[in-house]
Amino acid sequence: MSIKNESKLANVEVIESNFEALNYICNPQIATAVFLAYHLEKPILIEGPPGVGKTELAKTTAEMLGLECIRLQCYEGLDESKAIYEWKYGKQLLYTQVLKETLSEILDGAQGLTQSVDKLHEFGDIFFSEQFLEPRPLLKALKHEEGCVLLIDEVDKSDHEFESLLLEMLSDFQLSIPEIGTVKANPNRKPLVFLTSNNTREISDALKRRCLHLYIPFPDADLESKIVHARVPEVPEKLRLQLVSFIQELRDMDLKKVPAISETIDWARTLILLHSETLDADLVRQTLNVILKFQEDIEHVESELQGVTNRALKET
Amino acid sequence: MIDRTVVDFVKVLRTAELAVSPAETLDAMRAMNIVGYEDRQFLKNSLSIVLSKTPDEKEAFETCFESFFSFDKFSPAEEHQKTDEQQGHPENDDEFDPASKQEEGGGKSGGQGMGQGGGSAEEASDDEGLEPTSKLGKLLLARDTNAIMVAMVEAGREVHVNKIVVFTQKGLYTRKIMDAMGLPELQDEIGTLGNEGGNARTNLAGKLKKARDRLRDKVRDYVEKQFFLHADESGKQLREELLKKVKLSNLEKRNFKDVQEIVFKMAKKLIAVHSKRRKQFRRGHLDIRKTLRHNMQYDGMFFDLHWKSKKIDRPKVMCICDVSGSVSNYSRFLLMFLYSLAEVLPKARSFAFSSDLGEVTRLFAQSDLEEAMAKTMRDYGNGSTDYGQMLLDFKNNCMDDVDKKTTIIILGDARNNYGDPQSGIVKEMYDKAKRVIWLNPEPKMSWTVGDAEMDKYAPCCHQTEVCNSLMHLERVVSNLLRSST
Repeated sequence: MSIKNESKLANVEVIESNFEALNYICNPQIATAVFLAYHLEKPILIEGPPGVGKTELAKTTAEMLGLECIRLQCYEGLDESKAIYEWKYGKQLLYTQVLKETLSEILDGAQGLTQSVDKLHEFGDIFFSEQFLEPRPLLKALKHEEGCVLLIDEVDKSDHEFESLLLEMLSDFQLSIPEIGTVKANPNRKPLVFLTSNNTREISDALKRRCLHLYIPFPDADLESKIVHARVPEVPEKLRLQLVSFIQELRDMDLKKVPAISETIDWARTLILLHSETLDADLVRQTLNVILKFQEDIEHVESELQGVTNRALKET
Repeated sequence: MIDRTVVDFVKVLRTAELAVSPAETLDAMRAMNIVGYEDRQFLKNSLSIVLSKTPDEKEAFETCFESFFSFDKFSPAEEHQKTDEQQGHPENDDEFDPASKQEEGGGKSGGQGMGQGGGSAEEASDDEGLEPTSKLGKLLLARDTNAIMVAMVEAGREVHVNKIVVFTQKGLYTRKIMDAMGLPELQDEIGTLGNEGGNARTNLAGKLKKARDRLRDKVRDYVEKQFFLHADESGKQLREELLKKVKLSNLEKRNFKDVQEIVFKMAKKLIAVHSKRRKQFRRGHLDIRKTLRHNMQYDGMFFDLHWKSKKIDRPKVMCICDVSGSVSNYSRFLLMFLYSLAEVLPKARSFAFSSDLGEVTRLFAQSDLEEAMAKTMRDYGNGSTDYGQMLLDFKNNCMDDVDKKTTIIILGDARNNYGDPQSGIVKEMYDKAKRVIWLNPEPKMSWTVGDAEMDKYAPCCHQTEVCNSLMHLERVVSNLLRSST
């Protein structure tokens, strides 16, 4: 497989540094997964808690390679007419009308029913042809000229039936349309496929078997600090270390939803807006709703706020 | 050779309950070709991405990888220079520290260098002119740790050390590996050297002996490690398979915990299979595509409408369990099954009786199984069984809730102590419910012997089954799920 900017996928270190240039800080596992996905021509199934940058990884890869990112958001009830292709019914109806009107011209000179039918067949069957086909994301990705990044987001939200639909696409990079035949991807321009899942249900083994599996956990303090630095460079170092260690401690607490990286970044932005130089209990209390999304979590943390803040301050 | 290693590694992963398919094994090989073997961490990351597909599996993968791809340095040279056997052993233990494996390369060359420097200088004069003639002897004194390691692993492969199942086989496999490496030849040589006499010869014989003992230790450790890699899990599997087939009434209390685990595992499997099948039916959106396609033949006039439909059809299960002494164990596991299946069987109701019928649905939903079972036994157990009374109670209290979607499972031996069987009520259930299934733990031959009334009940059931092991239970529950969707 060769796509443009292939050199950016030369080895794991190159990928890491390229990601970093795009403000996506990753660990070696992530870079390895992208590296293997490209060289083995296999889709990656990314799992992990919400907000650790699963979708972002696909987008960043597309940006890095200068390819288009085609996104398919999954939801319950998603079916082939929204994911693969749809016929343009209006046009098809119009076509039948036109055909009806010109029928006499076509059949001109035909003798008997058999001949008429033969003549009709000669006329060609364009009713189900590509002209009347409306490609949806999966088909679009397959037919893309220069290759692309296909992001199938939150695949766990879709139905089991849809998962089975994906199998053909994921293992052979081809799709079958009954009326037309099989559409194959250009063997040198296969799309780079990312699937993300939030683990709301188990993905079927058949799908898992066809994918590389990458699990992105919450980052450790070091990595998270780097990420905040890359994303919100204006945060002073002292504050950055404080807020990262605060968040890290929150993740160990028993919360309904622990803050993810995206929340850390939002919080850093908030603190910048408030012109704060350092954390203190009051400031944290006022901005707690940025990182915690449930009232009971907020109440739970508030009771221990002073202690956690002090420990975070001590860290630096 | 490397393919063989991958296959062996995959085997190890499988015993650790990672489901690795042949296709994934092939992927792993391709990945290894791309990644190469130089960077251990890189290789580990890559294989982890290809072979393990859940966070749990990743963890298991980690341990497997660490223990599988850690080869101990084997250094007869070191041992060689130490006259004191005792001193050798603590050293030996250090080498097995998994942490030091990472620096295997560095450590090895260092140790080797030391061995050569110290050992050979001291004893060089004695050694002169005398070389061991046997293959193994040469290998041992050549101080090539890698070669010895490779020879050991190859010998291990030859004797299929990965087939080791129980702990007591360790000695056997150790000897087999030693033999495969050429021990008999070495023994002969040591023998002849000793017999021929002479200072240098005795010396060499002694050296070989020590190297041999050291090798034996190593091999034993190697076998032990293989045992933990391969047999620990397969032993467990063996036990589980056995427990699945054993008659539930013969289960001993100490096995309950294992069985519970198995039941949960089986239930999980059933959930995975059947939750996929569950269809939802809802008369909702007009399916334009289908409608158009179907109406094309009518000249585009829409009179045959098609709907995008969803079918919600969850089985309603009523389970009536005999909890008198003889059958209680079966009831216990059936209930365990049903409650582990809450995800696909949300509407299960359960009743217990020995003479009077009582509903225990709540009890089981709220408290854990042990406790619920104990309470059930206390409240309903221990009476003499009276199926007639039970059926009357059912008729009075629950018959109204039975509808065309309900499946009724009755678990019991149908031993009615010669009372009135009331089989008419079972007939009534048969008419009202979707299915009536009677599970009887006794073998079919004794269904009509003595006070058993199976011949009266059986005609009024859709299905009667012998059910006395976990396998049977699983089959019944699986059928139940299948027929209900």
